[in-house]
Amino acid sequence: MELTRQNTAIVLDSTSDFVEARERHANMRIVPLYVLFDGEPLRDQVDIDSAGFYERLAAASSLPTTSQPTPADFLACYRELVAGGFERIWSLHLTSKLSGTYESAVSAAGELGGDRVRVVDTETASLACALLAEAIDRRLERGTTDEEVESLVDRFRRENRVVFTVGTLEYLQKGGRIGKGQALAGSLLNVKPILSVEDGVIIPVARARGRQKALQEFERLFVAETEDRDGLRVAIAHANAPEWIDVITTLVARARPKATIDLVEPLGAVVGTHAGPGSVGFFWFQDEI
Amino acid sequence: MSDLALARLLAGSALENVELHRRRVNALNVYPVPDGDTGTNLALTMRGIVDALEGSTVTARPQLAADVQREATMAAKGNSGVILSTIVRGMARVLGDASTVDGEVLAQALRAGATSAYHAVKVPAEGTMLTVIREMAEESERPDVRRLEVEAALARAIARGDDAVRRTPEMLEKLRESGVVDAGGVGLVELLRGVLHGLTGEPLPAPPEVSEELTEESIHHEESAYRYCTVFLVEGRAMDLDALHASLEPLGDSLLVTGDASVAKVHVHTDEPEDALVLGRAVGVVDDDRVEIGDMRSQAAERERWLTQLHAAAQAAATEVGLVAVAQGAGNREILRSEGAAIVIEGGQTMNPSVGQILEAITAVNAERVIVLPNNPNVRLASENAAEESTKDVHVIATDTIPEGIAAAFAFAADEPLAANVEAMEVAVASVLAAEITRASRDATVDGVTAAEGEFLAILEGRAFVADPSIWVVLDALFEHFAREGKTYVQLIRGEGAPTEDELRERLSDRGVEADVSDGGQPHYPLLLSAE
Repeated sequence: MELTRQNTAIVLDSTSDFVEARERHANMRIVPLYVLFDGEPLRDQVDIDSAGFYERLAAASSLPTTSQPTPADFLACYRELVAGGFERIWSLHLTSKLSGTYESAVSAAGELGGDRVRVVDTETASLACALLAEAIDRRLERGTTDEEVESLVDRFRRENRVVFTVGTLEYLQKGGRIGKGQALAGSLLNVKPILSVEDGVIIPVARARGRQKALQEFERLFVAETEDRDGLRVAIAHANAPEWIDVITTLVARARPKATIDLVEPLGAVVGTHAGPGSVGFFWFQDEI
Repeated sequence: MSDLALARLLAGSALENVELHRRRVNALNVYPVPDGDTGTNLALTMRGIVDALEGSTVTARPQLAADVQREATMAAKGNSGVILSTIVRGMARVLGDASTVDGEVLAQALRAGATSAYHAVKVPAEGTMLTVIREMAEESERPDVRRLEVEAALARAIARGDDAVRRTPEMLEKLRESGVVDAGGVGLVELLRGVLHGLTGEPLPAPPEVSEELTEESIHHEESAYRYCTVFLVEGRAMDLDALHASLEPLGDSLLVTGDASVAKVHVHTDEPEDALVLGRAVGVVDDDRVEIGDMRSQAAERERWLTQLHAAAQAAATEVGLVAVAQGAGNREILRSEGAAIVIEGGQTMNPSVGQILEAITAVNAERVIVLPNNPNVRLASENAAEESTKDVHVIATDTIPEGIAAAFAFAADEPLAANVEAMEVAVASVLAAEITRASRDATVDGVTAAEGEFLAILEGRAFVADPSIWVVLDALFEHFAREGKTYVQLIRGEGAPTEDELRERLSDRGVEADVSDGGQPHYPLLLSAE
């Protein structure tokens, strides 16, 4: 079967932080996770947007918690797409090692029956999922096959890269998304940890004192792992820290003039809950088209 | 007299004279920072040798000389103490092999001491202890002096040493700027004068008066060789305070007798507090309820804390490389530990750790390769000596300030190979601009910067940079310099007398650089800074 934008939909969850997915692409959908302030569930990017979330976080007496979409949430989304005439659904989700979202999607796909839905554990998070969605979409535009998408997904898992830093490690630690025994915990200095996601888990890559040093570390990693070629796709996500956008944009333009910055988005409520204000993520993937 | 008894007598006399001149030597400290501890370091190093001889039962002269060499090395504190220990080592080697000591042997011993000292220092500077020992050796090598008896030959060498000390300002810019002679040189000559008077049995000449006004506060900043801080009041009639002062003098140090002929307050650091009270009772009535005897060092407790730290380091999981650091200020020690230092030795600008203490730390760390961060120029030589004494593979990274030490520790990775660590840490040290803000302890012109007593003085990369009565003016000048150098991140470490964290944050916002504030707790330096 030839896959096209007309017969194939892409489903993301809200941790992809791809707020504009629906506006940009008629065949994309976002299934929200939930953020809970004092037990009140709010749908990420639906009931609460990024700006509203950081305002509420600043005023909150206790940290919010998050929960994954239910299989029913995914099932409703899949059914709507099927009813709209889509014959194939690629459902792309954040690493199953950090969230049960993937499991919910798998369970909904089973419930739907047939083999219309292909659920992918991207083994990464945030805008990396959006970069993968955009890469699949470029292939749908010219016509593709399941095999081509599968091999793209495999290569994406191996080659996509995310580096990020957080305002403080407190949020990752309280949310249990990073091991307490990590070497970067416990410093009395104001250290900016440089983190990455590898094989689905968050790992420390380096440590930097001050934002400038963190940025230099971003650049060092970016330059070491990329070439200046067409098809190099970049995304930038920030948690209430827009000052990072310009400096990373400048960095990319200087270091890799041929790269395309696909996406610049604020981190939504769910990723924001676990990364905390002041976090910034830098994502890249060398695509062939 | 046995060799051991003679060694005890001479070493004891040497220590006694160094103690007599200790405060004067401390006051000669040229840097306008209240860290004058050259006299204290020489006294503590000498005291280590004396204590070892007191506990020794060795009779064979070569073995005695070997023991003295070993003890001198281990007891050495501060750069002056380390250089002294190398001189003692060189001399002891010669004296240990000689059957009798005459002018000829003395000449050989002084020459060996000089050679050993010059070898110990990477870049020997003239106008220092090195010059003094070298000139004393040269004097003793003159044909007419070689033929003399040892006492006469030593007297000639000492006279030449006095002359060399007088000429040190001609050789060293820093001394000339501050209008002083070299402190270490004075200490060395007085030490040998003590030996000479031990030989002849003549009483030691009285040391010159130290003009500096002493207060209880200032003397508590010094490290004492004695254990008990003893304070009491004496009431009487027509008491002679000068005589009381003179009678207490031999008991210890940090002596203050204040008051008048009817009531006097005595303050003394001594190992014999009861003897001090007896002397007080000899001239008046001592109010027993108001006698304070404080165990300053509470040696037992201090030793136990130290052993606990050593034990914890030894029990920790083995690593490829271990890190030992030296720092003053509880906050700084915590920061260094949080950055991977297995052991942080207390000390720095004042209270320099001994070679022996650094060696204990190196030995305790559960790693066969060890990196040492002295974090102060006064600790570097002792660290290097400890590295040489150790059987482990030890590398000293020449950090001169705590900010440099923190930058180095930040780059430390316990599981990486030694060479990779050394390289990364040296790059880190080179990439920071380190500055210290202190208060000038006297009017002085240093490196072309004139500072009045009490003014805030910034020292940038080891050189005086700016001085002003306002710490904010000094900070402004430093931040402008950091900006010119393209630095974007500044860490401030608060010490005693620092502005509050809030004040600092407020004054330093909108500077175009990121500024972090930590609590170091170091004395003498209200602020330490590093810019990257």
